[in-house]
Amino acid sequence: MSARLDAAERLLALVIALSHTPHRMTKAQIRANVAGYADASSDAAFERMFERDKDALRALGVPLTTVTDSTHEDDVGYRIDTSEYALPAVDFTPAEIGVLSLAAEVWQDSSLAAQARRGLTKLRATTPHAQDLEPATALRVRGPGDVFETLLEAIMARQPVRFDYRAASTGSTARRTVEPWRLYAKDRGWYLVGFDRDRQAERHFRLSRIIGRARRTGEAGEVALPEGMPPTTAAAHRTRVRLAVLPGRAAALRARAVGEPAHDTAANGGPRRDIVELDTADPDLLAEEIAGYGAAVVVLHPPEVRDNVLRRLHAVAELAAIGVRGEG
Amino acid sequence: MAETSVDRLVRLLALVAYLDDHPGVSVTQVAEHFGVSEAQVLTDVDTLWVSGTPGYQHTDLIDFSADDRERNILTLVEPQGMDTPLRLGAGEAVALLVALRSLADTPGIGEQAVVVSALEKLTAAAGGAAEAAGAVEVHTDPSSMTGHLELIGDAIEQRRQLRLRYVSAADETSERTADPIRLLTDSHRYFLHAWCYRAQGVRQFRVDRILDLEVLSTPAQDHPDITFTDSPNPELSQARWRVRLELASRARWVAEHVPVAELEELGEGDFAVHVDVLDLSWLRNLVLALGPDVLGVEPEDIRRDLARYARDAVAAYDELS
Repeated sequence: MSARLDAAERLLALVIALSHTPHRMTKAQIRANVAGYADASSDAAFERMFERDKDALRALGVPLTTVTDSTHEDDVGYRIDTSEYALPAVDFTPAEIGVLSLAAEVWQDSSLAAQARRGLTKLRATTPHAQDLEPATALRVRGPGDVFETLLEAIMARQPVRFDYRAASTGSTARRTVEPWRLYAKDRGWYLVGFDRDRQAERHFRLSRIIGRARRTGEAGEVALPEGMPPTTAAAHRTRVRLAVLPGRAAALRARAVGEPAHDTAANGGPRRDIVELDTADPDLLAEEIAGYGAAVVVLHPPEVRDNVLRRLHAVAELAAIGVRGEG
Repeated sequence: MAETSVDRLVRLLALVAYLDDHPGVSVTQVAEHFGVSEAQVLTDVDTLWVSGTPGYQHTDLIDFSADDRERNILTLVEPQGMDTPLRLGAGEAVALLVALRSLADTPGIGEQAVVVSALEKLTAAAGGAAEAAGAVEVHTDPSSMTGHLELIGDAIEQRRQLRLRYVSAADETSERTADPIRLLTDSHRYFLHAWCYRAQGVRQFRVDRILDLEVLSTPAQDHPDITFTDSPNPELSQARWRVRLELASRARWVAEHVPVAELEELGEGDFAVHVDVLDLSWLRNLVLALGPDVLGVEPEDIRRDLARYARDAVAAYDELS
């Protein structure tokens, strides 16, 4: 083989060679005989190339196993276990493949998107054709960041993880050791729920606040999952919020109101306002929304929601006094 | 998105398995089935044709019928034992299973029997990897579901026009007639993409801002020349403002969820985003929602306007207390 092979063709050559080898192939045999590996310019370059290829194939589900020869114990060999290679016999209808195509489109720009696409390609190999579905509704979810994979591996291995985490409340960073239980996407982010060994309690961690990488620590099998896995979010507790709304304003909030608005609370010489009440399962999210209405919507009750909105308003009001970074 | 070598490897292996089961299919059909161009299928076939076991003599190689190939028909003559479909990797199984479970939980899609049967078969096909998917979940927000969704879904399927009363991000209410095209959800909120007759263009409506909705008997027009970007974000090519927001690290989600033209790291986790702004009320809602996480806004006139708006709101609280 004289022309340089691209990586996909080299990987294909490796899969075919290791599937056919009667016993095993050593690294030296692979370098000498498998198309593409002679391209490596040095021993080190070959090692890097082979290690990367090995990891890539295993991530794809290729059962690449290590075989040690009893007579040459130092010299590790490799083969593909063809009995483990095959997709279980499944019989997807064209419409079901159509559904899987929709599933593969759910993830937005993340490693999950690429993996879903590859999985779909494999499943398409088993059906003659796919039936395109065009449902009225499409689902698009932001995929998690790179730390997701390490955390999922740790969950599967029942192994604790350690990472640097920036706390939401203070902004300060601390190293946390966590027994990982589950991963979930909610609202705008991805979260890990588990047992925080430092705090000795169940905690939820936002993945985007994990700084750098997470590392597995301790022993595999060490984590005991709690019995009857707890719900990933607290049971929906609803808070009743009372608002004073300028007439004609905040129609989107009024549409979610409980009961009819009460009129006229002209207090202290201010403008007349309507009293609107609504229930929320997520007071923080509602406070974000209310802050955007500015003077048109004032929270009367409860005090935590009122303070939450005021905190946002005060912060933005103070922006007037802030110069541009670098000017001061 | 550029194809990676791993993506291509997966397709090369899938092609051998597929062609072994389906001899004599056309290049066109294969291209359609695997979602690639015909030229790419032919390149893949050329690669397979020279691939095989070490030695790489003629009898070691995967072989196709050359006569059929002349007629753009693909017939695999010798698969060299590579005709078995490859099982799913753990990551692939998780990505597909969690996505499909989320679809099954999504109103407007999940009710279909075919979604349930696909999920059952996928779980079987995933084997041991299905367990990992059990540790991952996408929450849907039931409070975002309204009766509007069902009506919109019906209108899309029956290709009927909608009449809607809509309140914009600027808190302005308007009446519009629209041809509904599709619903999009990010699992948190629902968005209606529709041809709006008032705007004479495709607009995105947040379903929780639709106040009233009526399905008209008038048939919706076809809009075949419309192309979508997949993201539930507005078209920003006509944006009037480019705004730079300095944000605390806690607000990192903004960089992930708002189309950002440029991102700067400011150290200590703080960062700045440059965003194109079509509508200043959208920016106002974003900045006030972020509150203390906003460390700076440029240009200065926009920063002053935002601060004044917030100060007026604080004054309203003082009046009412």
